[in-house]
Amino acid sequence: MTAQLPPFLEVRQLRHCYSQPDGSRVEALSLDHMSAVGGEAIALVGPSGSGKTTFLHILAALIRPTHGEVLFGGRDIFAPRQAGAHWRAMSVGYIFQDMNLLPDFSAIENLLLAAEISNVSGPAATERANSLLRRLDLWNQRGRRPADLSLGEQQRAAVARAVIHFPSVILADEPTASLDAENAGIVMNILTELCAESRTLLIVATHDEAIKKRFARVLQLQRPRAAENPEPVLPEKAV
Amino acid sequence: MRFRTETRISLRHLSSRPFQTVAAAAVLALSSALAVILFLLTQGLRDGLIRAAEPFDLIVGAKGSPYQLVLNTVMLMDVPIGNIKWSGYAALSGDVRADFSVPLAFGDSYRGYPVVGVGDGILRIRRGASERKWLEIAEGRWFGDEFEAVLGARAAAESKLRIGDSFRTSHGVVLEDEHEALFKVVGIAARVFGPYDRAIFVNIGSIWKNHAHGDNNHSDGEDNEVTAVLVRPASYPDAYSLAVSFQSDAEKQLVFPAQTASRLFSLVSGGERFMSVIVYSVAVCSIFTTLLVLYWSNRDRRREKALLGALGASRGALAAISWLEGTFTLAIGALAGEALGRTGAYAAFRFLGGSTAIDISVPMTFKEATVPAVMFMAGSLGAFVMALAEKTGDAASLKRM
Repeated sequence: MTAQLPPFLEVRQLRHCYSQPDGSRVEALSLDHMSAVGGEAIALVGPSGSGKTTFLHILAALIRPTHGEVLFGGRDIFAPRQAGAHWRAMSVGYIFQDMNLLPDFSAIENLLLAAEISNVSGPAATERANSLLRRLDLWNQRGRRPADLSLGEQQRAAVARAVIHFPSVILADEPTASLDAENAGIVMNILTELCAESRTLLIVATHDEAIKKRFARVLQLQRPRAAENPEPVLPEKAV
Repeated sequence: MRFRTETRISLRHLSSRPFQTVAAAAVLALSSALAVILFLLTQGLRDGLIRAAEPFDLIVGAKGSPYQLVLNTVMLMDVPIGNIKWSGYAALSGDVRADFSVPLAFGDSYRGYPVVGVGDGILRIRRGASERKWLEIAEGRWFGDEFEAVLGARAAAESKLRIGDSFRTSHGVVLEDEHEALFKVVGIAARVFGPYDRAIFVNIGSIWKNHAHGDNNHSDGEDNEVTAVLVRPASYPDAYSLAVSFQSDAEKQLVFPAQTASRLFSLVSGGERFMSVIVYSVAVCSIFTTLLVLYWSNRDRRREKALLGALGASRGALAAISWLEGTFTLAIGALAGEALGRTGAYAAFRFLGGSTAIDISVPMTFKEATVPAVMFMAGSLGAFVMALAEKTGDAASLKRM
């Protein structure tokens, strides 16, 4: 009997350019190499415009990079061409800066809907949602819509939604930016606990030094040079 | 994502924005209701004309416009073309090609209700090919003597005359020009669902006497005249044989009332066709307007759809959600249009029922439902194309979140 290999994420020669309205192209991200294993927690830092959000979007297969590869378990997440949505549904949990819960659905419905999209449904999904809501102290708020929840509650619900389908990778884009220090601490504690328990790879983009200090590994991105000068800045820096 | 989940999301989106949903559905509902009303009115009018002409196989009257003869004899509208001699009726009643014939005399009225002088043969008329009698007594009895009258169902209800009451008729429709003789109500007819519900039936001899002005010889004999003769042919070939023999008649004409009514409807429906073009143009515009409202509504939901995409919903699933939202909205509009159209048609018929001679009622065929159904299908197809073309789930939308 062989032990199951942990999820393995690898990024090679990643470049991404955006087209400007005047036709020129601006390089938004440049990263030569990065690899991570399941259960790792990585802080993604860098100045504004260094491509933190772009990098997370590429990892979530929301955008296809101009150049380079993203491999998960040795397989390109963009191949075949329509694989992006499946990759997100089955393997990625995404947490946005502004929560972005679906406004027309209650807290528990937001969780169950995410589970259904990931093909987790029925009693197992309900049990998992109830357990997460209790653990995140949202049980009494489960029937409320996002507009009736506090910012802290909304972000906790977003964390629960991101982990409900046991993803391999959690990508969090400034998840505590709109929270006070106390709530930010609560959210980060829960997030790191949940990822450690299930050996999920956690990548958190942040500007917050206090959050950054929580991570054993920090990936530093730097603002790429103009596209006319194709020489990329090598940004990875493990701490 | 399962279809059930996509349906649930679509329905929740719609119920969360009731004003937008209702506004989009209302545009379609109003225009399809207009088309449904026009369709039902046309159908009701056509059915009413055919129903009114149904009991009368052949009509013989004075030479002139066949439309006027049918309008006068079948619809009890317009004025008689002229009279034909009693001998004309006598010849028909003795003709072996006629099963029976009924003389009719028009010209008098009571408070706007036409007084129709008839022979007893009118009670033999059947409703179309059925064995059901066309004219039956609901209350009282059929007239026996002269100056006895039987009221049509609507004439009885509206004139407030009761059995045993007496009344005087007027010449033509002029109320002041009353005849001296008093008529006595002896019976009330059951509804015939046609213009004759407004009629007052009297013995044709009473009409002659009323117009005799003291000349007793005028009340019977060969000098009397009738306005028209209803003829029940012995067979179909006999009907055509009679028609052929009247073609060379210089004073009289024979018409097939159902055929003439149908031609009359075709003349009237020229205007109806023009209205149809307008109504269907409005319907097409309303489909585009509804799709435009849906388009803006979908734009409003781009963030939510982008979020669903970020959660893993495929482009197909997102397109399905957009299409379902459109389809549900269009379905609500189409169903509301059908209901509104039928209600409107009922109201219109109720309103028109009081002012027309033809008994028009809302047909129960539901053929008119094809109008909102086609509008729904065309709109749904448009929503499908729009959903496919929609840009959802793109990272640009997420960046703005």
